[in-house]
Amino acid sequence: MDHPTELTDIPGGRRRMIRPRGAWIMALTLALLALAAGPARAVPLFNRQTGQNCVACHAGGQFPELTPYGRLFKLTGYTLGQRTAVPLSAMAVVSAATVANTSKSLSPGSDFQKDRDLILATASLFVGGKITDNVGAFVQITYDPYAVSNADGSFSGHTNADNMDIRWADRFISGERDLIVGLSLNNNPSVSDPWNTAPAWMQYVPVPSPTSYQFIDGTTPYPGYASGGNIAGLTAYGFLNRTWYGEVGAYGTARGPLSFVTRGVAPRTTLRGLNPYWRLAWNHEWGAHSLMLGTGGMLARIYQDPGDPTTIDRYRDWNLDAQYQYLLDPHALTAQLVYAGRRHSYPAAQSGQPVGFVDPAGNALANTNAADSTRLLRAKLSYVYQARYGGSFSLFSLTGTTNTANQSSGFDPATLTITATDPNATQLSLPVNGNLSGNPGTRGWTLEAFWMPVQYIRIGAQYTGYSRYNGAASNYDGFGRNAKDNNSLFLYMWVAY
Amino acid sequence: MTCTRLTISRASWAVLALVAGCANPERSRDVANPAVSGAVLAQQVCSMCHGLGGTAVSPNFPNLAAQTDVYLVSQLKNFRARQRRDPAGFEYMWGLSHALTDAQIDGLAAYFSRSTPQRQRVEGKAERIAAGQHIFEQGLPAKSIPACAGCHGDKGQGNGMFPRLAGQHGDYLVKQLTVFQRTDERSDAQTIPTGAVMKTVAHQLGREDIANVAAYAQAMPNR
Repeated sequence: MDHPTELTDIPGGRRRMIRPRGAWIMALTLALLALAAGPARAVPLFNRQTGQNCVACHAGGQFPELTPYGRLFKLTGYTLGQRTAVPLSAMAVVSAATVANTSKSLSPGSDFQKDRDLILATASLFVGGKITDNVGAFVQITYDPYAVSNADGSFSGHTNADNMDIRWADRFISGERDLIVGLSLNNNPSVSDPWNTAPAWMQYVPVPSPTSYQFIDGTTPYPGYASGGNIAGLTAYGFLNRTWYGEVGAYGTARGPLSFVTRGVAPRTTLRGLNPYWRLAWNHEWGAHSLMLGTGGMLARIYQDPGDPTTIDRYRDWNLDAQYQYLLDPHALTAQLVYAGRRHSYPAAQSGQPVGFVDPAGNALANTNAADSTRLLRAKLSYVYQARYGGSFSLFSLTGTTNTANQSSGFDPATLTITATDPNATQLSLPVNGNLSGNPGTRGWTLEAFWMPVQYIRIGAQYTGYSRYNGAASNYDGFGRNAKDNNSLFLYMWVAY
Repeated sequence: MTCTRLTISRASWAVLALVAGCANPERSRDVANPAVSGAVLAQQVCSMCHGLGGTAVSPNFPNLAAQTDVYLVSQLKNFRARQRRDPAGFEYMWGLSHALTDAQIDGLAAYFSRSTPQRQRVEGKAERIAAGQHIFEQGLPAKSIPACAGCHGDKGQGNGMFPRLAGQHGDYLVKQLTVFQRTDERSDAQTIPTGAVMKTVAHQLGREDIANVAAYAQAMPNR
């Protein structure tokens, strides 16, 4: 839910290291358990509730991308089917990743942790499903074995609330009129959305925390709301004649009785007051085809320091999205397109300020901007055959305004060099992750192939290539690292039970 | 700000508590509650794939409007007993039907058999439809294949245990004929009625024959 490469300092976390050999044994055990379980019994929570196969709700079985029926299942509040005695499911991801160039780094051990190692990347528990005829829930709790990177090179694990969507819904049918209405109490703007171009759902392969994963597809620019996912909101929605979808809501800090939706998350995002969210979509289904054209957005006021009202960042996020699906057994084709914009206004005290870096001649750089804008184009085409063999190709292009405040690399005024270590320097730069240009521009593509030997296991390989990173194709960090040095291979086995 | 926090928290819980309710048999999607009528299940559950009036938008799912009630009852009971084992059956229908009562099945069959079929866009090409018409009306004597019309009606309207074919999605018909031809998933001794007759009929059909006859049935007038 949160950006997985931002490691948070969580006190008291349990230390846990998965060694490669252990991870292989674990992966094999998981696979054997899943294969031995048999198709009629070994199905996750919603399957047990409806008794249906994954392909009923997920396009080509490619969870979590929804079919038209899956969208209705969600919008009717997860209430179709039969309440299950044990409303639990589990999910785990075992993975390995490698970055194209790990040599252009002053500290490969910390810049590319677990490179080429097989690890238990993440595990989730799901609770929910049908509660009453009108109330259902989708509650995810996630364990990250690599949540905290310790100074001695080890890691500590941590468990926290992940996506949560608790709904009330009703469906009124009269003649040819079909109206679904509902309320969603959730912790992540657009997690309630039934289309997979929504910011909360377009990127969905879990991203492991070790830094060798910092450039895999899941970390590339995806549409998203600035508030992130650890807040609390209530939205109301309606879906008329399977054609018009509208949703409005407001989000605030998760406090008091609602604090459970961010349980274990530290620090919690603190918002000022109520922050509006909206969504409008037109949906059309004909034959094996379905098409959605939509728009959504959110205004958010986020405290940098919850105790200081002068430290509020203001964001205006909007997006236009489209999704086309062709679903006719044995084919499942999906095309997704999102164009998203963001305007970020900084607190007054951080606008128009001088920065520490200088130009190569020692002259001062421009003062920081009062606001920045970004535009993101993201497109993805995926195909699954027989709900078993699949692949996808996606493109991403993020552009935005240049701001010296974004620079995390630059010329040090004392030494007139770009340095990360010189003790005489007053302004150190950041290799690998650094931004020398002050521009966020990032562009690239991802190619993925996957295989689902049984409906609840997905084994995939993603390769992500960059032509631009942090505003430049070459030497983006000031230490000679080029965009293509970040090209990454990500292998995963995703098991849901 | 404190006031706002309290407002959103209290409002969220209050709204959920007020509207939660427990059972709502008039608009329930509970497939294991015998108190929910077949008509409600048809509208709240079946319509998601088969359409409100039994006309399915997606060819993945058969049209049910004006299907014979005898056939609908028999298929729902086959699904419930897990005796119809074609992928479309077990992937979608086993779970939804497993707890249906006979009364609910009768209600579902009544709902869809009384629905008026909508006119469909003709999917196949004219030559294919003409070739299919010949098979439908005359059979293929050289392959010992009887005319479909003999059991399914001259307008494909169906007759008791013989399902309506008129206006059915061509893709669905092709897949089901293939199931009959190549598997016992709908034709072993347990199915009600056994699909053994269709297995015999479909046995000699070539791929082109199947595509042609499906195209004709799909294009048949619905009224």
